[in-house]
Amino acid sequence: MTSTTAVVVTGIGLVTPIGTGRQRFWDALMAGHSGFGPVKSFDTGGFGVHLGAEIADFNPRDYVFALDPETIGRSSHLAIAAARLALQDGLLELDKTDRRRAGVCVGTTSGEPHFIERFDDHYVSGELERVGKEFITRYPCHVVPGHVAKELGLAGEAMMIPTACAAGNYAIAHASDLLRARKTDFMLAGGADSFSRITYTGFARLGAIAPEVCQPFDRNRKGMVPGEGAAMLLLELKERAIARGARIYCEIGGYGLSCDAHHMTAAHPQGEGAARAMNIALTKSGVAPSQVDYISAHGTGTPTNDRLETIAVKKTFGQLAYEIPISSIKSMLGHTMGAASAIEAAACALAITEGRIPPTMNWVSKDPECDLDYVPNVSRARDVRVAMNNAYAFGGNNSSLILTASSA
Amino acid sequence: MGVISSLGDSPALLHSALCQGRTALHPVQEPGFDDLTCRQAGHISAFHPEVYLPEKNLRPLDRTGQLVVCAAKLALVNSGWTADKLGAHDVGLVLGTMFGSVHTISKFDRHALIQGPSYASPMDFANTVINAAAGQTAIWHKLRGINSTIACGSTSGLVALGYATDLIRYGHQIAVLAGGADEFCFESFCGFERAGLLYGNGEGRPVPFDHRRTGFALGEAAGLLMLEDWEAAVSRGANILAEIRGYGSTYNPVSDQSGNESDAIVRAIQAATEDAALSLVEIDCISASANGSVNLDRDEAFAVKTLWNGYSSLVPITAIKSMVGETLGASGVLQAIDLVETMRTGQLPGIAGLDEFEPTLPSLDICRHERSIRVRSGLVNSIGFDGHACALLISKPQDPN
Repeated sequence: MTSTTAVVVTGIGLVTPIGTGRQRFWDALMAGHSGFGPVKSFDTGGFGVHLGAEIADFNPRDYVFALDPETIGRSSHLAIAAARLALQDGLLELDKTDRRRAGVCVGTTSGEPHFIERFDDHYVSGELERVGKEFITRYPCHVVPGHVAKELGLAGEAMMIPTACAAGNYAIAHASDLLRARKTDFMLAGGADSFSRITYTGFARLGAIAPEVCQPFDRNRKGMVPGEGAAMLLLELKERAIARGARIYCEIGGYGLSCDAHHMTAAHPQGEGAARAMNIALTKSGVAPSQVDYISAHGTGTPTNDRLETIAVKKTFGQLAYEIPISSIKSMLGHTMGAASAIEAAACALAITEGRIPPTMNWVSKDPECDLDYVPNVSRARDVRVAMNNAYAFGGNNSSLILTASSA
Repeated sequence: MGVISSLGDSPALLHSALCQGRTALHPVQEPGFDDLTCRQAGHISAFHPEVYLPEKNLRPLDRTGQLVVCAAKLALVNSGWTADKLGAHDVGLVLGTMFGSVHTISKFDRHALIQGPSYASPMDFANTVINAAAGQTAIWHKLRGINSTIACGSTSGLVALGYATDLIRYGHQIAVLAGGADEFCFESFCGFERAGLLYGNGEGRPVPFDHRRTGFALGEAAGLLMLEDWEAAVSRGANILAEIRGYGSTYNPVSDQSGNESDAIVRAIQAATEDAALSLVEIDCISASANGSVNLDRDEAFAVKTLWNGYSSLVPITAIKSMVGETLGASGVLQAIDLVETMRTGQLPGIAGLDEFEPTLPSLDICRHERSIRVRSGLVNSIGFDGHACALLISKPQDPN
């Protein structure tokens, strides 16, 4: 699997509802901590549900120095924090690198939704005159990677890939392509989303939000829990990482992306597109299905997602599906939208280096339609050489990213 | 290629309108815009999606979705990808957009604020995601390959063409429908107006490189190109219109909307020539990003001067945005489509309305009027308001089949 153009993960930065920073995140994940609580960032009085996964105690001034944190949105704050943490974790000294060959690629669902929400507040209250220039300079989603690049002085490509709930995988995939083609030396790639009234309203209207707890793959699961967060991975070519003596978490083996072309908000009933993405990822990575040690599920906790995802995994792996541990960390973090698959990719990288698989929490009773090994409630020691990170999104988008242990 | 624009719904119509120097800018008369000072835009006043898609229910699509689904239909027909062929091969879709539909996002939220969250529209919610148009288009035309959306502000469309080209070069797809789109709507128009980026009413002109430019005119469009692996295109007997040679995408981390973007533009063009293995002397014309913005037009002009270093008066430069407006995510794609038409027809459009070239700008071969030209390779620039720059190189097919 390893070649001279292998792309490796050398830094991990995380801001999540269960903890900020790689170690605190991992410890919380292993302990099965929950990031859920009543929504605080807006009034949920008119809603039938009130559960969210917001990040408490996050102070942007701990991470945003070059830019004025008052002039940028929360998704940018979270992304900048994750980016700084990833650089620190990867011990990359920017002053010694060619900043023109360092780029940023972020995935998101909503970008900076708070600015359109304030616009709408003004609109509804008949005070449109209060909309100022900051709406257009702070709202469009491409400002998030732009702010990361500005804060850190990175002059390579700064791209946003807004492919909704699978966006983090898309961003990591694109960054790995740029690195393999030697178009860039370093990439910060991941995802970011801040807690959004619009997103919450939509999922509440679809009846998709769990009232009390997120229970992926459980027989009585009642839905997902919207969340917020950011994860950034520091990616570079293996040869460069070795040359600078960097710690290597894992390699990005390859990826598969596909589209159901079936329905905007519902997955294909036979898991057609999802299975196709998994198969492409396996082929591109040169990995046999039997080599997969862990699958990080999309696992939102909605009745439909978890059932169809199980079908897709069986369609791809056949009988082997029953032997591969598969878990959903959304049982702890909630669904952090565009950040989710980036956070889950970080969890895969850590599963490979730490030799442990995170659990699916809140699993109580077996669903006959979800009969795989979901690593219920307790983390598990396992030598993970190959991890598959699956994520799905509105628009029928399917993504599978393969991360592999890196031989020295 | 497929295009829905305020100057026509085919590459040939768009190109001939541009060559004639026609302008799509006209008064904004839609209700609800009364509080805004700027009253001119380049939106499509008569867009009728049912003309292109008579057989289907259009209700699930918002305006951005309609623009993209229609442009995709035109591009599929134009490139010979029939429903049968799409059934047998996975074709990708990459869409560049600045906003998706900020109108749909706002409308959904406002409705919930006024009526209560339980009255929010599930159909609108599906379209609030920024990749909604790409998803809707995939469903409509059965595009099962990689479906991605790229957001890099007004450079989104050109970056999407580069990204899609790489998906093919790196062996991820054989064919990708790629381009960009942004709709004209109150929310974005109001935002740009409040930010002072639009040219004012009565004062100033939205004309690239003009001495009296004060900002741009907001437009809307969708444009898509069917990009294919060369060998695969030849083997299916496709009519090859042009070859994407390479691209460069950069960012200026010291940009603050009044800063100088020249360095990022220079690096994007250099990266594109390197990617394409082309030298600057092989570039026969430039389609500039210039849109009437005071600083960006200046920075682009100086970037060209820097690169061509003494020979910048030898490469003809045109710009289309005084005619079709600033179409944001579609803008670079319209430029690319027009460049392909320029290669085919041998006619390069002039910059309509350019009467007084800014005297402090460097000496360039600015194309003020339509000109006969032989283009083997051309450069498309796309420059954002806040630091993004992209350059794409296109050549005439070397081996016409």
